[in-house]
Amino acid sequence: MINLEFILNGKQITVETEPSIRLLDLLRDKFNLTGTKEGCGIGECGACTVLMNGKAVNSCLILAAQIEGSEIVTIEEIANGNELHPLQKNFLKYGAVQCGFCSPAMVLSAYALLEENPNPTKEEIKDAIAGNLCRCTGYKQIIEAISESAKELTTR
Amino acid sequence: MPSIEILIPKSLNEALGILSDQNKVLKIIAGGTDVVTGLKQESNRFINTEVLVDVNHIAEIKEIERRNGKISIGAASTFSEIFKDQIVSNELPILKKAVATIGNLQIRNRATIAGNFVNNAPCADTVPALLIYNATIEIESINSKREIPLQEFLQAPYKTQLKKDEIVTRINIPVPPKTFIGDFYKLGRRQAVAISRITLAVLMELNENKINEIRIAAGAVTPIGTRFPELEKFAKGNEVNDNFFKALASKIGEEIIKLTGLRWSSEYKLPAVQQMFYQTLNRMTKRIK
Repeated sequence: MINLEFILNGKQITVETEPSIRLLDLLRDKFNLTGTKEGCGIGECGACTVLMNGKAVNSCLILAAQIEGSEIVTIEEIANGNELHPLQKNFLKYGAVQCGFCSPAMVLSAYALLEENPNPTKEEIKDAIAGNLCRCTGYKQIIEAISESAKELTTR
Repeated sequence: MPSIEILIPKSLNEALGILSDQNKVLKIIAGGTDVVTGLKQESNRFINTEVLVDVNHIAEIKEIERRNGKISIGAASTFSEIFKDQIVSNELPILKKAVATIGNLQIRNRATIAGNFVNNAPCADTVPALLIYNATIEIESINSKREIPLQEFLQAPYKTQLKKDEIVTRINIPVPPKTFIGDFYKLGRRQAVAISRITLAVLMELNENKINEIRIAAGAVTPIGTRFPELEKFAKGNEVNDNFFKALASKIGEEIIKLTGLRWSSEYKLPAVQQMFYQTLNRMTKRIK
């Protein structure tokens, strides 16, 4: 067991954990942050995406000890209290949520994109979410929702 | 997931010290895209691993810089870092193109360049690009340091020259002359998160309309990523035209069969490689005309 220190959703955390459990399991089992989903478990589907130091990463491929000193953001941190983030509002408005399993990770990938590139082209949006599989295949609506959110966030 | 100790050295010396202790089964981990999936799937490459040495926090093996007339890429540079790097963008466009085809953004944000070839998987996307750039790699242990061509380092599928106490520290690439033109092509089953079925990298210098120098490498269709010295010799001095490109494309098929033998997949893969190679050559040369 190790004592792991990191920042989780803005809060400084110290937690006792096995060093080699996956970040995905740490988030879900220790912190009950179940918005982070397990799909394939091998880095292909992106359902377990979280932000590590602002970058989208697969939490199924990162071991707990590796996040020492890092800043982790999960989907639970994206809304402002009960006020949904524009991305979340637009996912609902544009019908980008079907079964919903890919949605938390999809929103996080979009969030990381817009932080880095506030005016992405359609191709850049596609590249940013290429690692997030939606098996309902509602990609068109997802891309629209992200595109619209970019517009709203930049004209504020 | 088995219970494994994880050490996070902050300097190269510390890492080399840890690796010199061979009483334990140690493995290096960087992006984890190979190691974590390998551990989870109980791959025999990671069986009995007791300690993982995380090399993500060693500044000496992360930066990309010009050194002694070469471009020196730290082994633990992630693909996202390489993709955004100005030196790579200006001088190594074919490597940049290869990097862009890897996995997806989440993977590129974590996976490292040395991690792409230290396991010597036949489908490693950066290998053909690094081979045509004549990349050499620096390898260190606590009491040794050596630099060898990447092609020598890669011995056989999933087998390299790396010893248990060693770590790849840098990838060094001579700056290619601006007169070189080149291209990279990857064929997978889909655009993102695809394991390559075929990769090709070509670098060429023309003198008037004749091939002054050409470097050709492939991955996934050969047992390991490889150059084609005989094909390169055959092409040198020839005039660039459609008929010659057809002849060259047909010959790459023969060379691949020499390396791999006939396989069940040869019947459809070979014509695909030949056509891709032919199209790549055409695309490259049309661009300069």
